Amino acid sequence: MASLPKLNEKYSMFSCITDDLETKGFRFLFSAKDNLTSKDMETRCGSRILEGYRPVFDATAIDRMRKAGGKLIGKNSMDEFGFGTFSTNSAFGVPKNPFDPERSCGGSSGGSACAAALIDGHISLGVSTGGSICCPASFCGVYGIAPTYGRVSRYGLIDYGNSLDKIGLISSDPNKLTEFLPVISGKDPKDPTSCAQPEPGPKGRKIRSAAVPKEALESISKDVRSSFESSLETLKSMGVDVKLTEMPFLKYAMPAYYVLASSEASTNLARYVGMRYGRQDGDLTLKFDDYFASFRSEYFGDEAKRRILLGTYARMAGFRDRYYAKALKVRLHVISSYKKVFAGCDAVLTPTMPFAAPRFDEISKMAPVESYSADYLTVPPNLAGMPQLSVPCGYDGGGMPIGMQLVTDHWAEDPLLTFAADWESVFETRRPEVSP
Amino acid sequence: MKIGLEVHVQLPTASKMFCSCPTADADTPNTHVCPTCLGMPGSRPVMNRKAMEYGIMLAKMLNCEVSDTVWFSRKTYFYPDMSKSVQITQYDNPVGSGGVYSLGGKKPIRITRIHLEEDPGKTKRVGDQSSLIDYNRSGIPLAEIVTEPDLSSPAEAREFLKQLIADIRHTIDLPDGGERSIRCDCNISVGKERCEVKNVTGLRNVERALTFEAVRQTKVLKAGGKIDRETRRFDEERGVTVSVRKKELESDYGYIDEPDLGIFRIGELAKSISVKESPLEMSVRLSREYGIDSKAAQQIVSTSVDLAKAFEKIAAAAGSAQTAMSWTAGVISANWKTFETGGGDIEGIVGIVKRFSDGEITDVETGMELKAYMTGTDIRTAGDRSSGLDQIIEDYLSAHPEIISEIRKNGKAVNRIIGHVMEETRGMHSSSDIVSAAKRIIDSKI
Repeated sequence: MASLPKLNEKYSMFSCITDDLETKGFRFLFSAKDNLTSKDMETRCGSRILEGYRPVFDATAIDRMRKAGGKLIGKNSMDEFGFGTFSTNSAFGVPKNPFDPERSCGGSSGGSACAAALIDGHISLGVSTGGSICCPASFCGVYGIAPTYGRVSRYGLIDYGNSLDKIGLISSDPNKLTEFLPVISGKDPKDPTSCAQPEPGPKGRKIRSAAVPKEALESISKDVRSSFESSLETLKSMGVDVKLTEMPFLKYAMPAYYVLASSEASTNLARYVGMRYGRQDGDLTLKFDDYFASFRSEYFGDEAKRRILLGTYARMAGFRDRYYAKALKVRLHVISSYKKVFAGCDAVLTPTMPFAAPRFDEISKMAPVESYSADYLTVPPNLAGMPQLSVPCGYDGGGMPIGMQLVTDHWAEDPLLTFAADWESVFETRRPEVSP
Repeated sequence: MKIGLEVHVQLPTASKMFCSCPTADADTPNTHVCPTCLGMPGSRPVMNRKAMEYGIMLAKMLNCEVSDTVWFSRKTYFYPDMSKSVQITQYDNPVGSGGVYSLGGKKPIRITRIHLEEDPGKTKRVGDQSSLIDYNRSGIPLAEIVTEPDLSSPAEAREFLKQLIADIRHTIDLPDGGERSIRCDCNISVGKERCEVKNVTGLRNVERALTFEAVRQTKVLKAGGKIDRETRRFDEERGVTVSVRKKELESDYGYIDEPDLGIFRIGELAKSISVKESPLEMSVRLSREYGIDSKAAQQIVSTSVDLAKAFEKIAAAAGSAQTAMSWTAGVISANWKTFETGGGDIEGIVGIVKRFSDGEITDVETGMELKAYMTGTDIRTAGDRSSGLDQIIEDYLSAHPEIISEIRKNGKAVNRIIGHVMEETRGMHSSSDIVSAAKRIIDSKI
C-alpha cells in the first residue's frame, strides 16, 4: 500500500487513490474503474466535466465488494466516459502498459487492467460497452471477464450505452474471477435490468467445442496469428474440439454498435451542463442555454464531443429510421446468429485484439475509424449481450502479451470461468517486471 | 375551427414515477429529492407499478386500445428544470391509443393516445436576472391524454375538459386539489396551420386562451396574413397569447428507447383492471335502467355518486323507481351532506323507505324519520320542525295557489316560498330544507 502512490506516478493506473492506507481488518484489496460511483472517493469518469463529483451513494458492485470484506484502494484511469480503445482519451493521466510504459494498456478499462497486472493478487472492477474489459486484459496480459448483460447490477455505473454496459472483473489470477463474479452478480431492485437473470447454472461445466470464425483471422497481425494458432493446438490437447466456420454476421456488429452506443451516449451526456454536480464554475451572466453550451464546449474532451455529434445525428428526425431503428434490428440479427452457432458448439473463439499493445506515438497517428475498427472482435459479443472472456495466450517478439477471447451463450459464465482456471494450468503466464 | 387538447394529469401515486421520493407537497424546496429524480450520474429509474395501473385505468376509461407491450423512450431537450436533460416518456407503444370519448353522451371526441411520462421540476423566477429550480416535482408521474382536433369551439373545449376532469377524478380517485394537478396544451387552427398554447391551467383559462387565439388567427387571416406553426404562451393577467418559439415536431426531439426500464408486458395486468363507471355513464345508465328523467338522474349523480348508489339500493328495496326517486331527490338529497359527513349507514335510509312502500308509515312520518335519521337529531324536534315547516308552506300555497304552476314553469319561483318561510320563522329553517319540503309538497299535489 505504501508504494502505491509512487507506482501510480509511473503507471497512472489510478486517477484517485484512497487517503486511508490502513488495510487491517479487510479480507482483500480491490480497485474500480472510475465510472463506478464511490462515496469515499471522487468519481470523474476520466472527464473534466465531472471534477469534484462526490457521489452520495456506492455503486452496487462496489458496495457488494466492500460487504464481502474488500477495501477499495483507488479508482482506475479510463477513457473519458469509456470512449476509447487505448485509455488515451483521459483527462487525468493515461495508464502505461506494465510490460512497456511506452505502450498503451488498452481501453477503456485500461487502469483496471494495469492495476491487475501490477499488483499481486489484485482484483479490479472494469466496465465493458464494446469490449472495454477484454481489450485491456489482452494488452496487459491478464484475465478479464465481462459477463452477460444484466448479470451485474448497473446501479451506480455512470452510463455510456445503457443497453450495452456490462460490469466485470480483471485479475492476473483467473481464480479471483471465479471467486468474485458471484459476489458482484445477482438481482438488484435498483437496476430492473439485473432482475431478469436466472440463477447460475451447474458449476464445473467444461467447454468441449469451440468455433473459430474465418472472418476473425482476416486482419490480425502476424504475431497474433502465430500465438493464436499455437493456442489452438494447446486447446486440442486439452480435448476441446475446434472447428473453423463462417460467421458473416460479425461484420454488421461494428456499425450497429457505434450507432446504438453513441445514440445512447449522446442522451446520457445531455445531463452534464455545469449544474448540480461536477464543475459548476461557468459564466453565470450567460443565458442558460449559452451557459450549458459554453460549459460543454470547455470541459468535454474531443472524443466525447465526437460521440455526442454522431449519436445526435443518428437519432435526429429523418435519420432515426435509417440509423437508430435499423441498428436495433441488426442487434437482434446478431443475437439470433450467435444462438445458431451455439446450437452446435459451446463457445466462439477468436483472438481478442488484432494486434499487441501499440506504442503511444503510433496511436496518436491513428484516425478515429482505425482505432474504432481495432475492436471488431470484442464488439460483437458485447452488442449481443453475451459473456466474453479474454485470457493471455502468447507474447510477441518484444515480449508484449497477446490475448484470445471466448464467447458463450447468454448466462453461461461458468464454463468460461472453468476454462480460465484450466487454461492457467497449461499456459505459462508472464508477469511484468515492476520497477517503481 | 379545429381544436385539439393535450391534457396532463398528475397521477395520485404515493411515490414518484421512478424513485421512492414522496409526491406530497413539501414545505421546503428540494427536499423530496434523491439521486434518481435529481438525475445524478450513476442513478437509475425503477418503474412505479401503481403509475402504470393508473395509466391503464385512464386508457380504458377513454375506450383506448391498451397495448400488450409498452416501453419508455427518452426525449432529449435542454432546460434547467429537466434534471437529466432527458425526459422519460412514451413515444412508440404508449399505454393506450385510438380511443373515443363521448362529450355529453352525444358527440364523440377521438382520443389519439394516452401515454405516461415524468414531470420536470419547477422554475421560479427571482428578479430579472435569475431563477431558482425546485426539483420536488421532478419525477411525479403524469398521464398525457392527446385528442384529435375534434372540438369546434373554445366553449366546447371547456365543456369537454370539465367533463373529462370529472371523469378522471372519479376513475383514479384524484383528490380535488383545484386545477393545479391538471394542465393543458391547446392546439387550435382557424385556417390551415395550427398554433399550440402551452401549459394552460384551469377551465376558464383554457377557454380564454382559445378564444383569444381564435380571434387573433381570424384577424391575421382576414388581413391576408399567414399563421405560422408555433408554440405560444398564455399570459393569464393580460388574457393574451404570446409567441414563444417556432414549434418543433415531436420527431425533432431525437427519441430513443429507454434501455434502463426494459419492456413491460401489461396484457394480463390490463385484463385484471376494471374501470369504475364514470359519473356520466352512471347517469345515462340510471335514466335508461330505471326509466327516470335524465336531468334528475344527472342531478343526483352530480350531488354525489354515493347518493346515486343509495338510490339504486332504495329502488331495489322499495320495488319502485319513482318512489325511490322522489325520496332521493327530496329529503335524502337535502340532508346528504350532513349524513355523509356524519358517516351514517345507508341501510337505515333504505329501511325507512321500505317501511313507507310497505305501507307501515305515512308520507309525513317517512319524511320526519329520514330527516331525523340522516341528521342524527331527535325525531320529535325534527318532526315538529318539519311538520311546522310543512304547515307554513301548505298555508302559504293555499293562499297563493298560482305559485305552484309558476314553480313548475320556473324552478326559481321557489324563492318566494323561501322568503316567506324565512320571514315567518325568523330563519329557523335552512333554505335547502325549505326547498325540499316545498318540492315534496308540490309533487304530492300532482
